[in-house]
Amino acid sequence: MTQTTAFPSVSAPKSGENTWLWLLKIITGPLLVILLAIHFIVNHYISETGLLTYSEVVAYYQNPIIPIMEILFLASVVTHSLSGLRGIILDLKPARHVLKILDWVLVIFGVSAVVYGVWLALTIASKGV
Amino acid sequence: MENQRNRPSPSKFWTWFNPIGRETGGWAFILNRVTALGLVFYLYIHLLVLSQLAMGPQAYDNFLALMSNPMIIFGEVLVVAAGIIHGLNGIRIVLTTFGVGVTRQKQLFYGLMAVALIAAFVFAFRMFTA
Repeated sequence: MTQTTAFPSVSAPKSGENTWLWLLKIITGPLLVILLAIHFIVNHYISETGLLTYSEVVAYYQNPIIPIMEILFLASVVTHSLSGLRGIILDLKPARHVLKILDWVLVIFGVSAVVYGVWLALTIASKGV
Repeated sequence: MENQRNRPSPSKFWTWFNPIGRETGGWAFILNRVTALGLVFYLYIHLLVLSQLAMGPQAYDNFLALMSNPMIIFGEVLVVAAGIIHGLNGIRIVLTTFGVGVTRQKQLFYGLMAVALIAAFVFAFRMFTA
């Protein structure tokens, strides 16, 4: 067997993967590295006790930047996770009609997750008023 | 190139995680896929349990008390480590996608994973001593 040191290839859309969806996954990646770092540092290191009580979370959400940042993070992470999951499932070589159903399931699931998350963020923010 | 025999077969999902006979690229693939699946699972559990916040102070504070269990903290350390590994490995994927460092992927991978290892230990230490 010939052994070369190079990686076989760089990332590219798979067969059955829309180029724009693949690109969206690639772009949301570094965006998430930034947003996750903000989500983590702000939630656990800037707030004094690391958001470890209900009243502290509610008080924290009174700053409008917080729910906006969390909703942006949520939309990116849901997009990235579900397009990534679809890529993994593509490796199982699903039949065409199965893939069609899967796409609907993923879209409905993703939209529901974002709607739920927006509702939750706004509910928490409204508790302090 | 990896041996044909050891290359992950698309339709046989258990071969995705077979560590035998892999080269660096194969290890990067395994790490990326394992952390991806773990993080997807965690993400939606995380969203779901935060609904406790909508149920008022009692519910959320009781939930937080439950989460201070060392086994839960250990699970959270795994999630943080998975996030760091997936994020840093992802930076390599994005860079090489746009033509940066394509011939230096091994060095890039080992360098980023060394950073991930150190970062994961720092977080683990902080989380267990907090």
